[in-house]
Amino acid sequence: MSRVIKGSGPRWVGYPAAVVAVGATIGLLRLFPQLNESSVALLLLLAVFFCASIWQSGPGVVAALLATLGFNFFFLPPLYTFTVQDPRNVAALFVFLVSGLLIGRLSAISRRRLELLEAERRDLIALTQLSQGFLADTNRESLLGVAADRLRQALQCREVAILLPNEKGELARRVETGGIAFREELAELAYRQGNSAALPSELGGTDIYLPIPVGLQRAGTLVARGLQSSERMAEACALLLGLAVERERFLGLARAAEETRTSDQMKSTLLAQLAHDLKTPVAAARGAIENWEADSGGSEASRAAAAQLDALGRRVAELMDLVRLDSGAARPRVERVTCAEIVEAAVARFGEALAGHSLYIEPPPANLAVEVDPAQMTEALGHGLENAARYSPPGSTIQVSVAAVDDQVFFRVADRGKGVPAGERDRIFERFVRLEDAAHLPGIGLGLSIARSLVELNGGTLRIGDAESGGALFEIALPRAAA
Amino acid sequence: MSRILLADDEPAIRKVVRDALEREGHEVVSAIDGREALDRFDDGGFDLVVTDLAMPRVDGLELVKEIRRRSPLPILVLTVRNEEREKVRLLDEGADDYVTKPFGVAELVARARALLRRGDSARGPALSRFGDVEVDVESRTVRKAGRPVHLTPLEFEILATMLTKPGAVWTHRQLMAAVWGTTAGVTNDTLRVHMGGLRRKLEDDPNRPSWFRTEPWVGYRFSPD
Repeated sequence: MSRVIKGSGPRWVGYPAAVVAVGATIGLLRLFPQLNESSVALLLLLAVFFCASIWQSGPGVVAALLATLGFNFFFLPPLYTFTVQDPRNVAALFVFLVSGLLIGRLSAISRRRLELLEAERRDLIALTQLSQGFLADTNRESLLGVAADRLRQALQCREVAILLPNEKGELARRVETGGIAFREELAELAYRQGNSAALPSELGGTDIYLPIPVGLQRAGTLVARGLQSSERMAEACALLLGLAVERERFLGLARAAEETRTSDQMKSTLLAQLAHDLKTPVAAARGAIENWEADSGGSEASRAAAAQLDALGRRVAELMDLVRLDSGAARPRVERVTCAEIVEAAVARFGEALAGHSLYIEPPPANLAVEVDPAQMTEALGHGLENAARYSPPGSTIQVSVAAVDDQVFFRVADRGKGVPAGERDRIFERFVRLEDAAHLPGIGLGLSIARSLVELNGGTLRIGDAESGGALFEIALPRAAA
Repeated sequence: MSRILLADDEPAIRKVVRDALEREGHEVVSAIDGREALDRFDDGGFDLVVTDLAMPRVDGLELVKEIRRRSPLPILVLTVRNEEREKVRLLDEGADDYVTKPFGVAELVARARALLRRGDSARGPALSRFGDVEVDVESRTVRKAGRPVHLTPLEFEILATMLTKPGAVWTHRQLMAAVWGTTAGVTNDTLRVHMGGLRRKLEDDPNRPSWFRTEPWVGYRFSPD
C-alpha cells in the first residue's frame, strides 16, 4: 500500500512544529503562576493531543516527551531541575508521560483511519463512474477510445496504456494517453502469465503492470505509470475493464448472429420464391391436363404427359430440398415429439408409395420421445419408406420399428429386397448415385442424400445395413429426449 | 350451382382452378390477391372462398381472418408442403380446409364439394353410417360389419365429434377442445393413443386408415367416402 498523506505539508515539518507548539504552551503557562500543577498538566496534555492529531504519531511522541521534561523542569519543585522532590510526583510524572504518548498514538490512529476511509470513498466513486462510463459504450472502438482517459482519472496516475492481443494473438498497444513509454516485457508477462508488477516510478508514485482478467483468462494488460492511488484500486479498474471488453465482445457476437439470421431469412425467402416459381408451371400444366382429360376423355398420351409432369414435380421438389439444405436455409425448428408421432406422420405422408406393399408397424414404445424438427424428420423417415418400397418386390412386407438403446433412439425401416452390398453403402448416400440394377427405376438418386442431411441437421446419423428379413435396413439414430 | 370466390396471384393456377370449378357447374369470381378478394367479397352472394396462401398485399392468412370476422362462409386454402405450422394457424384462424400443392384437380374439386355440402346442411343430422360401420349417437352404440364394437368413452367422443363434419380436418387443438372440453393437460400424443384405439376397432387396416386419417403434424381428417 502506498498512500500519500495530504493536508499538512511534508512529514518532517511536524517535528519542529511540535517542539515549537509545546515550547509556546510552556511559555504561556509560565505567565500564569497561580495555576496549580494538575491544571498545568492537563493543559500540556491538550497541547500534546493537538500536535499528535495534526502532525501524526512521530511529532506526537516528541511533543509528549518534551511536555514531560518541560513539566518537570518548569513546574515541579524543585524548579529548573530535572529532579523530583516529592516521590508522589514521580508517579504523577510517569502517568503524564504515558497519557501523553497514548493520546498521541490514539489521535494519530483515528486521523489515519479517517484518511483511509476518505480515500476508499474516493476510489468507490471513481470506480462507479468508471463502470457507468464503460457500460454506456457498446462498441469496442468507442469503449477503448475513452477508456484510457477514464482510467487515468480514476487511478490518479500520469499515463495509461491498454494492450490487447491482435488477430495473431500478439499483445499490441491499443490505446494510451500521451506518449507513454513502458517496459514491454513486464506487460507481456502480465498478459501471458498473469503476473502483475509494481515498481517505483520516476514520474512519482508507482508504475504498475496488471493483467486484465476475463474469468480465468486474460484479455490483455493494463499499464499505469505514476500511479497515486492504491494497487487494489488499480486491480479493481483492471477487472472493470475486463468486464467491459468482454461485454463488448458478446455484444459484437450478438450483432453478428443477428446479421446471420437476417441473411438466412433472406436466403430462405428467396428460395421459397424460387421453389414457387419452379413448381407453379408444373402444377398448372398438370392441372390443365386433368381438366382436359375431364372435358374430352383421357388418352394414353395425356396419361403419359401427366405421369411425366408428376415426375418432374418430384424432381423439382427434391432439387429444392437439396438447395435449401446446402444454403443453410433449412434450419430445424426443434420440438419434443414422440417417436410414435413421427412414424404415424411419415406413414401418412408417404403411404401412397407403400400402397403395393404389406406394411407392418411395430408399435413404438410409449412416451419415447426425441427433440427434432418434426417435418424434417418425417421427410427423412419418408425417404426410407419410399426407398424400401422402390427396391423390394411388390407385395413383400416392409417393417417399421423404433427401439431405444441407452440414450439413443433408432428408427428402422426393413425391407425384403436384395439389400445393398456392403461396399456400396457409403456410395449410395452420394448425390445422383444409383446402383446399377436400379437404373430402370424412376428417380435421380437424391432421396438418401437428402435424408442423411436432414437427419444430421437434427443431430442424428443415418446408415444402411442388413435387415434380419434379408433386405436392406434403413436406420436413423437420434439422441433420446429426457423423460 | 354455387358462387365461388377464387383468390390466387398466379394466372395459370387461377385458370386451372376456375376451369375445374366451372365444369362442376359453379360460378367463379376471380381475384388476383387478398385485397381484391376482400373487395369482391363485400359484393356478397358467395357460398365458398378458395384462396392461395402466399399472395402479395393481403395474403391468405389475412384474408381468412378478415372473412372470418364478417361471415361463417366456408374457406378452402391452397397451401404448400412442409408448412404445417401455417396450416395449423390457418385452421385455428377459421379456415375450413386446405389442399397441399401440388394438388390434383380432382382432389381440389372433391374438397370444395364437401365444403359446399356441409354449408347446405349446416347443423344437419350427423352421419351415422360409413363403410360397414353404423353409429347410433343417441344410444352410444357402434357396430362394425353387424357386430357390436365396444369403444371407450373418449374413443366414442372422438368418433361422435368427427361425425358432425364429414370430410373435415380437425387440428389437434380443435379436437381436444371438442372432446375433452379443454386443451390443458392433453398432449397430441394422448390424442394419438385414443385415435389409435378407435382405428384398431373400426378400420380394416389400422396402419393405413381409410376413414380416420392422419394429417401429419396438423391433426386428423374424417373421410367417410
